[in-house]
Amino acid sequence: MTGRTAAADAWIRYRRTARQDGLVRALTLLCETVGDGGPPRGPGGHMVVPVGVAGADAGDVVTTLTVEEGTVVALRSRAEPGVSMTPRQERAAWALGLTCLRFGLSERLLDAVLAHLGGRTVGDAKLLHQQMVKGGVAEAVIEQLEIETMLAGATPGDLDDDVLAGLNAQITETDRMLLRLLGAVSFLADGPGQVARVSELIADVHFGSARAGEHGGAA
Amino acid sequence: MIELDDRTRAIQRQARAWAQELKPLALELDQDPDAIHRHLDVAIVSYLTRMTVPPEFNPDPVVIDGRPFYGTGTLERVVFAEEVAVGDAGMLLAAPGPVMSGVLVDAMGDEQQKKWFYSRIMEKPTWTFFALTEPDRGSDAGAMNTTLTPDGDDHFVLRGAKRYIGNAARADLGIVFARTRPGPLGVTAVLTETSAAGFTAEPLETIGLRGLRITAVTLDDVRVPAGQVLGRHLRATQRGMWSAVQGLNRLRPGVAAFGLGIARAAYEYVLANRRTLNTAERHRLDRLGLRLTELRQLIWRSAIAVDDNDPAAGSLASAAKARASRLAEEATLEALGCFGPGARLDHPLLDKLARDARGVEFMEGTGNIQKLNLFTGLVQGHLRRD
Ligand SMILES: Cc1cc2nc3c(=O)[nH]c(=O)nc-3n(C[C@H](O)[C@H](O)[C@H](O)COP(=O)(O)OP(=O)(O)OC[C@H]3O[C@@H](n4cnc5c(N)ncnc54)[C@H](O)[C@@H]3O)c2cc1C
Repeated sequence: MTGRTAAADAWIRYRRTARQDGLVRALTLLCETVGDGGPPRGPGGHMVVPVGVAGADAGDVVTTLTVEEGTVVALRSRAEPGVSMTPRQERAAWALGLTCLRFGLSERLLDAVLAHLGGRTVGDAKLLHQQMVKGGVAEAVIEQLEIETMLAGATPGDLDDDVLAGLNAQITETDRMLLRLLGAVSFLADGPGQVARVSELIADVHFGSARAGEHGGAA
Repeated sequence: MIELDDRTRAIQRQARAWAQELKPLALELDQDPDAIHRHLDVAIVSYLTRMTVPPEFNPDPVVIDGRPFYGTGTLERVVFAEEVAVGDAGMLLAAPGPVMSGVLVDAMGDEQQKKWFYSRIMEKPTWTFFALTEPDRGSDAGAMNTTLTPDGDDHFVLRGAKRYIGNAARADLGIVFARTRPGPLGVTAVLTETSAAGFTAEPLETIGLRGLRITAVTLDDVRVPAGQVLGRHLRATQRGMWSAVQGLNRLRPGVAAFGLGIARAAYEYVLANRRTLNTAERHRLDRLGLRLTELRQLIWRSAIAVDDNDPAAGSLASAAKARASRLAEEATLEALGCFGPGARLDHPLLDKLARDARGVEFMEGTGNIQKLNLFTGLVQGHLRRD
């Protein structure tokens, strides 16, 4: 990590903004700072962005999702999916930025678990202090520490596509652990579970395993 | 390995055929939970309105291969639930019928209460609800705050709030758990009508299983006739939480079967829609197919144990439920991974399955609670290991 921390400062911003201010603010920041020609599409031609950020001709809106502090839309390009026109360096910056952002959201979810379970009781004890709950939290934190260490100091291109795809799968699994810990609150459309849903959607659009000829065409 | 007898295989075949009708309706119900009102005539929904009504109150059961089916056996119910959930778990949960409340009425109701409850169910498609969970008391239900206090000689008053209660906003009647005095023995179940003054049910928007329409219920001095308090003819130790736990033990294999059905739906979706599978993917799918079979066997075993009043039933059902909720999540994520970037947008049915799968964890007790049940059963010797 030594020597690379300064370069990583820009990437830390996406993570911090996601953790402190939430999904819409962080995704807006990423869209504003990475990509001259607008936010890049995923390999299947899809895009998930805050409402209003994508241009009018960006594609067909497939779904609109409201999260804590705003709205995001998922779009599908009308053009055939193919080789991205986005320059390679820009795509690498976007991929790293999105991973940092999703990691920040995962940290925000952990904060929500600690706050929510810290305020609930079982008998006279805090729910958070039940041994199985402590163990569950610790498991999630181990995952986060691994991801954090991998991302520390990284600049675009340092981590190849497979590594980033793996880290994103790990973020999804960690979020699922945290969602189970939150209880049914995590299943409500106006809470942290909805943010995790959009975060999974972002991973699906940008890091879903690419297979020629398999995407498209709902059966 | 457990094999089904001819009778149970007949209900399985019928349920599988009926479930085909549900798939095309699944996304509509997901978008608009009220769509259930338009589909009450779908064969399976109309069976569900009466499923579990006992023979003495059900003169008109479904007849398959010349045999009447009442859905009162746990094994036949789990076989049925798996097939329906492969069609659409949302529709299974959205359908009118007595399911959860019926189990409690059977266990704790006197003859008069059973007659009243089942005649309402048989009159027309009627939704029911089962309100145990509270906003501050989820898994720790025994510490609930809702109170039931006498109000004159022949009435009681309910005060409190319940949360995540399936179907309460569309139900006519259901069961509310409340406390008459401190301690676990002070919990009682009462039959409650949603038309009573002071009863309100606000739907909560959820990420999945949207057909179920879980709600936040407020009980603002709801008056209930004394005749609607369940279990008054039973010993104090058999009322309230004890009966709730017994009832949940009987229902839990069915919840495990929902999870299995969701997982299988995702697996079958991949088989039906992927044009080519590479060796590694085929291997992963074969492994998933085996895990589905293993879970199905465990669920059947737990259901047979419930039907046989085996002391191991609760532990086996907890094991099956804990495994089923995890497998539902894993199978749906795995299936999405087979379709490349944007699978969630291009395959909305698979996306829905992945959203639905997340809810199974919480229904009738979370994974941790099931593990604690299982451990207790193990150390108390209920779970024989021979
Ligand atoms: C789709 C759906 C349908 C539902 N339908 C109904 C219904 O019809 N009627 C009804 O009454 N309720 C219903 N529920 C509520 C459900 O029963 C509760 O969500 C469940 O009991 C968990 O409670 P909770 O969500 O408050 O989580 P909490 O109890 O707050 O649990 C939070 C976390 O702590 C863990 N935990 C809790 N206690 C312990 C402990 N002692 N040791 C270790 N870990 C622990 C849990 O495993 C979980 O990970 C439904 C929920 C959902 C999502």
